Amino acid sequence: MNRSWDNILDKILPDNMLQAALARNDPAAVELIWDRYAGDLLAYLQAVLCSRHDAEDVLQTVFVRIIRKRHRLAKARRLDAYVYRIARNEAFRLISRRKKGRTIETVNESWLIVPEGSNKSNDMAEQLQAALANLPQPQREVIVMKIYRQKTFLEISRLLGLSQNTVASRYRYGTEKLRIFLENLTL
Amino acid sequence: MNNKNTQNEQLERFMRKANLHKPSPELKERITAEAKKTWNQTSPELSWQIPVRRLIVSAAAAVFVIWLTNCSSDYAVARWRSGGPPVAHKQPLDLDALPELSFSPIARHFVSSSRKPSITEASTLRSYAERMLLILDEAQQNGASKPPTPPEGRSYLLPTQSGHDSYS
Repeated sequence: MNRSWDNILDKILPDNMLQAALARNDPAAVELIWDRYAGDLLAYLQAVLCSRHDAEDVLQTVFVRIIRKRHRLAKARRLDAYVYRIARNEAFRLISRRKKGRTIETVNESWLIVPEGSNKSNDMAEQLQAALANLPQPQREVIVMKIYRQKTFLEISRLLGLSQNTVASRYRYGTEKLRIFLENLTL
Repeated sequence: MNNKNTQNEQLERFMRKANLHKPSPELKERITAEAKKTWNQTSPELSWQIPVRRLIVSAAAAVFVIWLTNCSSDYAVARWRSGGPPVAHKQPLDLDALPELSFSPIARHFVSSSRKPSITEASTLRSYAERMLLILDEAQQNGASKPPTPPEGRSYLLPTQSGHDSYS
């Protein structure tokens, strides 16, 4: 069987267990949701918002919303797509609030880290961050999910409700732009 | 094509040198605590409650729209009435000019009386009765002057008496 299908099957099984816990109204489902989605959702939200703190705040709102809608989630046909949709809606709500000037603009903060910790690696992280921030948000979220969360185009398309071709073309256009942004760095 | 793939791989390799922040244990504690608090505060939403709630909201919206329409209608009518009662222009009734009245005088009278306001005064009632009697007399006289209906099986064209011009 194809590797990507293996990945999807691996992730569908915990979703079924999670939905069963939600249907039983078992509070242990909170931990299961966290273990299953927190890492992916935080990465996705950082990609959309370009801010670590905003992403963490929105993640909390997303979890509260998931708990409030737990009965619907228990019956959802695709739990992961539902959860991503909630995260996406919450992130866009924050962006629109920001555009209307209701919240204070966040300061530039690092949401990418380079493990080495030297000055050179910090510069690299900053430049990468700036290059990613210059991309249109749809391309940025696909690149982050593909590169930093090791998702396949098929998985991304299912999570975001897009066709595989759209995801692939967004990735291609995004990487081309990134290459132009990063041409001053040594690849 | 190969060159492009190589460039893509290089770019991916370069980008993988950096990484995104992972959720910290403090964040997990904070968010799961908040989620559990929400879990205890909210009762699970039952499946039948959703359509019922939607129905109630739709009904409330419909009532509100009807009420709003009534209010706007009342306002418009009140403004229209405040200018004084509407005056309808009534044309004099010329019964002879009406094309559908090509009937006998009695029929014309009935039609005209039905189109006139009801008679309430005694003198008018008396004159009305006199006119009715007159019309009925005329009608009776007209009926008497007409030839009698022929007996059954006979025609006006055939002579009734046996004479010189008879075929028998």
